[in-house]
Amino acid sequence: MSRPDTPAATPGGEGRFDGYDVLAQSPFWDPVTAEVVLDRTRRVPALAFFSSAEADVARALLDLMLANHAEPRVPVVEMVDRRLFEGETDGWRYEDMPEDGEAWRRSLRFLDEDARRAFQAGFAHCTLDQQGRIVQGVQDSEEWHGLPGKHVWSLWTRYGCAAFYAHPWAWNEIGFGGPAYPRGYKVLHPGWREPFEVAERDAEDPVPWSERVEQAERAHEVRLGPRR
Amino acid sequence: MRHTDERAIRARNESAWLVPTGQERTNWSLRERMRRFDPDEEVDVVVVGCGAGGGTLTQRLARAGFRVVALEAGPWWDPARDWVSDEAASHKLYWTEPRVISGKDPVALGSNNSGRGVGGSMVHVAGYVPRFHPSDFETYTRDGVGADWPISYEELRPYYEQIEEELPAAGEPWPWGDPHDYPHHPHPLGPNGEVFRRGARALGLRTAVGPVAIPNGRFGHRNHCIYRGFCLQGCKVNAKASPLITHIPDALAHGAEIRPDSMVSEVVVEHGRATGVRYFHGGREHFQRARLVALAAYSIETPRLLLLSATPAHPDGLCNDFGQVGRYVMVQGAPQTAGRFHDEVRMYKAPPPEVTCEEFYETDPSKDYRRGFAIQNVSPLPITYSEHVTAQGHWGEVLREYMRDYVHWAVLGSLCEFLPRVENGVTLAAENDAHGLPVANFSYSEGENDNKLEAAAQAVMEDILRAAGAQEVITIKRYAHLVGGCRMAADERSGVVDRNRRSVAVPNLYVTDGSVMPTQGSANPALTIMALAARCADHLRATARSGLVGEAVRG
Repeated sequence: MSRPDTPAATPGGEGRFDGYDVLAQSPFWDPVTAEVVLDRTRRVPALAFFSSAEADVARALLDLMLANHAEPRVPVVEMVDRRLFEGETDGWRYEDMPEDGEAWRRSLRFLDEDARRAFQAGFAHCTLDQQGRIVQGVQDSEEWHGLPGKHVWSLWTRYGCAAFYAHPWAWNEIGFGGPAYPRGYKVLHPGWREPFEVAERDAEDPVPWSERVEQAERAHEVRLGPRR
Repeated sequence: MRHTDERAIRARNESAWLVPTGQERTNWSLRERMRRFDPDEEVDVVVVGCGAGGGTLTQRLARAGFRVVALEAGPWWDPARDWVSDEAASHKLYWTEPRVISGKDPVALGSNNSGRGVGGSMVHVAGYVPRFHPSDFETYTRDGVGADWPISYEELRPYYEQIEEELPAAGEPWPWGDPHDYPHHPHPLGPNGEVFRRGARALGLRTAVGPVAIPNGRFGHRNHCIYRGFCLQGCKVNAKASPLITHIPDALAHGAEIRPDSMVSEVVVEHGRATGVRYFHGGREHFQRARLVALAAYSIETPRLLLLSATPAHPDGLCNDFGQVGRYVMVQGAPQTAGRFHDEVRMYKAPPPEVTCEEFYETDPSKDYRRGFAIQNVSPLPITYSEHVTAQGHWGEVLREYMRDYVHWAVLGSLCEFLPRVENGVTLAAENDAHGLPVANFSYSEGENDNKLEAAAQAVMEDILRAAGAQEVITIKRYAHLVGGCRMAADERSGVVDRNRRSVAVPNLYVTDGSVMPTQGSANPALTIMALAARCADHLRATARSGLVGEAVRG
């Protein structure tokens, strides 16, 4: 896991807010918040919940779902593992799903079984294309290994996105202001910015929004075949 | 502006001077000097839960001279040290003990609607405090749906006015329902609110700013709002009101005791009267004797506690002889529509709801559905906003591309008045919590009227965003708030408590939280929960004064 010392790091070097570094604002954060947020960039927690075999499958799954393929990569699997180890759930589970930790273990095992059946290799050793087909199959399924497909999907996306978009590199990528206490905001009009906020690279450069989405969808399809 | 007499403000809003100045956010000496009752002492009232309902009741009973102890399952927060300006690390604000959700349309709990700790859900709600409309109190008479309340809007109005002053609330004069104004002028608009108002104006729809429970300006020792947009993560500024900084400090100053980290497991009833509650604290079980028990643990935990308090005489749970406990739990349909704008919006600044449109609140006879919805801007932070994107089925590169565009999106949310259904509610699951108590199973399914309301609300939100210039809109279906489960009714066959919030089955057992509400309107419920608790406190005061045998505390 590379952890760049360079400011304004973004996951995989993606993003349109050139030079925006939310961590440069950390001197203006309260100490409790600063400790929690800076810790995410300083330390990759050791695995405590997943076995190393489970972690391999979880890493492949989460990196695929978040397109977290290039360095610097957000340590999503370690962040999810920490939550599961500490039992930090969302405060509910679906009646037709086990408790979150058990649901994660089972769903990772099922992914591996599907991969071995279809591609004669563990999920983590499949190509991105093969992994993508299996995962798309779960999203499209009514029932998957006795579990409701949409509830498995909800489990994966909730934990995955909560980890990824908690990371300051992701905030740099999307231009989010990050913690704002005690500094706050004084410029509240659409189209205006605080002195420390960075303008997005020309919104039409290289292509406008609609084409950027189409490009992302094409990239997704090339990898996974046509979507539903 | 109402009632600007300074002495009256000081007397009513004493709590605003009870929080400290400077960098501290907690008045430690007030907590240290708190009255502590002897463990074996029978108090006048034990209150279960320290949120909107329990906090307000405790404060008023303390001011009236009652000996009152309030038990809270969660911690007693210090905003400076316990809370962070961060989405992911705010998990502990929510009720994250195990719970099961079921039904055709299971409702997410936790951060969505369930608080924990002194201040309750008001710590992590946006502090939006609109009133209900007069029609909300008689939907059955007017529209043939839902249920009539055993009290009228007129009976609750004085308590709405009191609480709006006590918070205090800031907003523009309100043109809908029972028109009224607010003690403080509205806050400046954030970017998302501006987009909303621009779109609504283009369609000729009226909007109003507020009401939000944040004083406009420094108020006593409470600081000016800094518009940082983290209202849902607990206000570290002490600007947004919650009982933690309003009614609880006031209650302490008037002799109430607060016991945090105390999870009540049973209401004990002997010979038809409540004698107190059992609770877990510090790994041990305790018993608090009281002449009167008031439950304010909200729509999941209050029914659960009554069900857990079953006895041989009441094998199906306390107050449940007619199967009413845990029934008619309601959530508002809360679809949210995001619109993409060419200009940067940066919706994460300013309190998340700021602008409201209640033009569609009342039943429109020309539609094929009853009742209506309100629209407010909401401004999700990145993790919550990612749910909007994944709800479209996006993942991988497409998810990342949408998220990379975050600053260009504005979001509107609606609150649709879903109707009460007897089958929606709380039962005990087979699974136990850490104390060995069965956890709650909350089952929820929408009805046909609900689906139609939801579709209508989505269409209006899309229209407003397009009129404001949106190039693309996306919608996520979700739910907001929780009420019902122990509803008040005219008789024991249709409810759990009477019009004064007294349980029909046990004369000295009261329910003073949102679970008593027979319908939910299209307004955020916090103000109504507080107003109901304030009215209940007046009832208890009057009953105690009259000295009626068998009534209230002195019985």
